Amino acid sequence: MHKVNDLIKLLELELIAGEGGLENTISGVYIGDLLSWVMAHLQAGNIWITIQTHVNILAVALLADASCIIIPEYAEIDSQTIEKANYEGIPLLRSKFSAYQLAIKIKELDLII
Amino acid sequence: MKELALHILDIAQNSIAAKATSIKIEILEDLQLDRLEILIEDNGKGMAEEELVRALDPFYTSRKTRRVGLGLSLFQAAAEQCDGGLVLQSHKGTGTVVKATFKHSHIDRAPLGNITDSLITLIQADPNIDYLYTHQYNDKKIYFDTKEIKNILKEVEITNIEVLVWLREYIDSELKELVK
Repeated sequence: MHKVNDLIKLLELELIAGEGGLENTISGVYIGDLLSWVMAHLQAGNIWITIQTHVNILAVALLADASCIIIPEYAEIDSQTIEKANYEGIPLLRSKFSAYQLAIKIKELDLII
Repeated sequence: MKELALHILDIAQNSIAAKATSIKIEILEDLQLDRLEILIEDNGKGMAEEELVRALDPFYTSRKTRRVGLGLSLFQAAAEQCDGGLVLQSHKGTGTVVKATFKHSHIDRAPLGNITDSLITLIQADPNIDYLYTHQYNDKKIYFDTKEIKNILKEVEITNIEVLVWLREYIDSELKELVK
């Protein structure tokens, strides 16, 4: 089983916040931006890729027990979101790639069993 | 759009395109009623009945048939998604009012975002347009009126860079004080 730490190294992600959760085990990927929809579908252990960056994403990630959040395409992240991710220990990661490209890379690297 | 401030900017830009000289922007946050209201009112050239219907139809995009872009439709969708809605009122020659309501606590409600940036962008665009901004948060209220500011500035333009820097700080600090 891979950890968030491995994901960061292999995908060259930028660690924005939430160092406390780097040992979280990853399983599955979910991509979505409409928070009410994501709440109903995000699974425990999922890597969640979303372009939403306001503090509510932490509430959704916590609720579903997601392993980490990846913000694609270098989107700017609210300072409140960063504070909350640190406080809750949910890794908040960022990439230059789009959600689609990230998903492909995760598949190619065989990160998800 | 990721922030409601960007919707406000977009709708007010419609007002500018409609030759408005005075634009009122009102934000009302009532946590008791769990309601967020955004109103943008202008004294531009307004729309006739048939134009009004088309204004909310996202598939009428030709600039020849309408002045406004997709902005109103997107704003409406954002409001409806959060158990709210959008009302558009307009009369040829007298101006237009756009009012959007949201359930304040709705999980899909975008944050207000950087209101200061939107206001400064608008003020900067044309020194001859006046803005009245009011923002109520529960029982606290702030407002700022470019007419008053221009009166104080006298011959100094409101688009003067030092004035804009000051305005930015002023609005920022007022907003921080309001939503504390």
